[in-house]
Amino acid sequence: MNATYGIVAITLVALATLAIGAFGLRVSRTTSDFYVASRSVSPVLNSSAIGGEYLSAASFLGVAGLVLAHGADMLWYPIGWTTGYLLLLVFVAAPLRRSGAYTIPDFAQVRLQSVGVRRIATLLVVGVGWLYLMPQFQGAGLTMRTVTGAPGWVGTVLVAVIVVINVVSGGMRSITFVQAFQYWLKLTALLVPVFFLLHAWTSDGQPSPVAPDAWFAPFGESDAMGLYATYSVLIATFLGTMGLPHVVVRFYTNPDGHAARRTTLIVLALLGGFYLLPTIYGVLGRIYASDLISAGRADAVVLELPSRMVGGTTGELLGALLTAGAFGAFLSTSSGLTMSIAGVVGQGLARTGAISTITGLRLAAVGCVMVPLVLALTADRLPVANSVTFAFALAASTFCPLLVLGIWWRGLTAKGAIAGLIGGGLCAGVAPVLTIARQPEGWFGLLMSQPAAWSVPVGFALMVGVSLLTRADIPTNVARTMVRLHTPERLDVDRRF
Amino acid sequence: MTDEPRVYTGRVRVTNPLTSAPAHVRRSVQQEIDESTGVGEVYMRSLIRSQLRAALTVTTTLILSIGALPLVFLAFDSVTEFTISGIPLPWIVLGVLVYPALLLLGWVYLRQVERAEQDFTELVEPQRQDDSS
Repeated sequence: MNATYGIVAITLVALATLAIGAFGLRVSRTTSDFYVASRSVSPVLNSSAIGGEYLSAASFLGVAGLVLAHGADMLWYPIGWTTGYLLLLVFVAAPLRRSGAYTIPDFAQVRLQSVGVRRIATLLVVGVGWLYLMPQFQGAGLTMRTVTGAPGWVGTVLVAVIVVINVVSGGMRSITFVQAFQYWLKLTALLVPVFFLLHAWTSDGQPSPVAPDAWFAPFGESDAMGLYATYSVLIATFLGTMGLPHVVVRFYTNPDGHAARRTTLIVLALLGGFYLLPTIYGVLGRIYASDLISAGRADAVVLELPSRMVGGTTGELLGALLTAGAFGAFLSTSSGLTMSIAGVVGQGLARTGAISTITGLRLAAVGCVMVPLVLALTADRLPVANSVTFAFALAASTFCPLLVLGIWWRGLTAKGAIAGLIGGGLCAGVAPVLTIARQPEGWFGLLMSQPAAWSVPVGFALMVGVSLLTRADIPTNVARTMVRLHTPERLDVDRRF
Repeated sequence: MTDEPRVYTGRVRVTNPLTSAPAHVRRSVQQEIDESTGVGEVYMRSLIRSQLRAALTVTTTLILSIGALPLVFLAFDSVTEFTISGIPLPWIVLGVLVYPALLLLGWVYLRQVERAEQDFTELVEPQRQDDSS
């Protein structure tokens, strides 16, 4: 692949991101602008922003790479990521917006009146965010190497630097514009080359992919382990989406609960449209680029296909467009994640009273990027889509029970929430560490690499069980909190605490 | 002010003050909710229950459809081997059909809960009906 086109594409995306961020800077002045874009973002802009933020390296590069390598089994990932939004819509969207809190720790404190729950939730936000940021940074390195031949760390560091500049300068409002721009960039970048690729495939006589039977059929191996892995992925993605900090924080930027629901429905449409595309790349990759599997670079299939199938200047230009989209994916997801972690940590710093909220946010943004950056530069690479699953599993085992039980069940107590957050968090937090450090084999290895199917029930059971045992500690104002969470805003009822 | 008691000459109508008061004070649902009375609680619980029922309906539909797909594919080879113009059925279902189905489910849910909230609003603030129509 010609390096010049790729470098130009990456530079343009980086510049556009910084420019739109600077535009946001001109209009963001207050603390509310910084944290939640003053809650005035319309559903269409907001849902584009959510789509832009959510479609990460795992969606843009990872799904096609997994389909190339493993076939039909991997279609469950994008299905899970989309269905996660449907469950977010039905259980969380409107009540979370109506709670009036900025972040998940805020929600925990509003609902349970406990500083302890707030602290643990803050730690978990940071943990989930780091697990999600690491593969984004690694994906950026991979893309940079594929496109320009530069060493992997260049792309990783570049993305980290741009993200920090963006968050530090404009906060949530500039991020909202950047994200919305990047959804449409990513969709265009993936959609336009598809027409050229399909045309090339048709001219080529429409060859079928050559692969073992197991690649074509879901459960080619059809054994218990395959079934467990599939259901675990489904549970992690269905329930984890609602607990991802960068997803949740976007709901506070809606004007009201009604808008939050409409936003989520539009997001479902945007995601569904996008996820039709990676499968096409994966299947075409099986026909034209199956050597990438043995080279261990299946994640690069999206970037490689145009030069292999179309060739010439057109192929190079399409490749550059895809590179731009991929970089958009790293930038938007990393910006959203960094913004949400920094928002939570920054609030914590500001609570000490030593610094202002905005300074806290800026300091936290720099600090929060360092750890995943170091991890990305040192840890061995897992497939991008697999390693984000750990972040989903952790969110599904901790924040999902906290949000669902907190919104729908009056019986939740602070002690129950703490037990569930710690128990579920330990289960889903130890698993990736073991998997990365020891790489265990067999059933134990599978249980560790796909923890959601057992760690989510542990989280729920602990939260419900301990709450039932500590029934005397149910917050006294729970009735008022329920009024606040569930009544439409247009009603003039008492929502005070 | 005079020290002499006033003398009434005409007919004086004597009434019990309670009879002229309204029979009972009409309390709005909003008041009941604000004061967390038994009646207010009943209204709130019915709202939350109807919203939760809608959410659980969607969840059940998901479990019975997408959740059952892996088992269906595993149990029936004929399903996985079936092809439409050369493309195996599982690829069509998992790669394409799932997404419009999810959107449809979300849309049906949205209509249902928005209507429930509208009903609740009219119950609590009947005068709002005029505003919205």
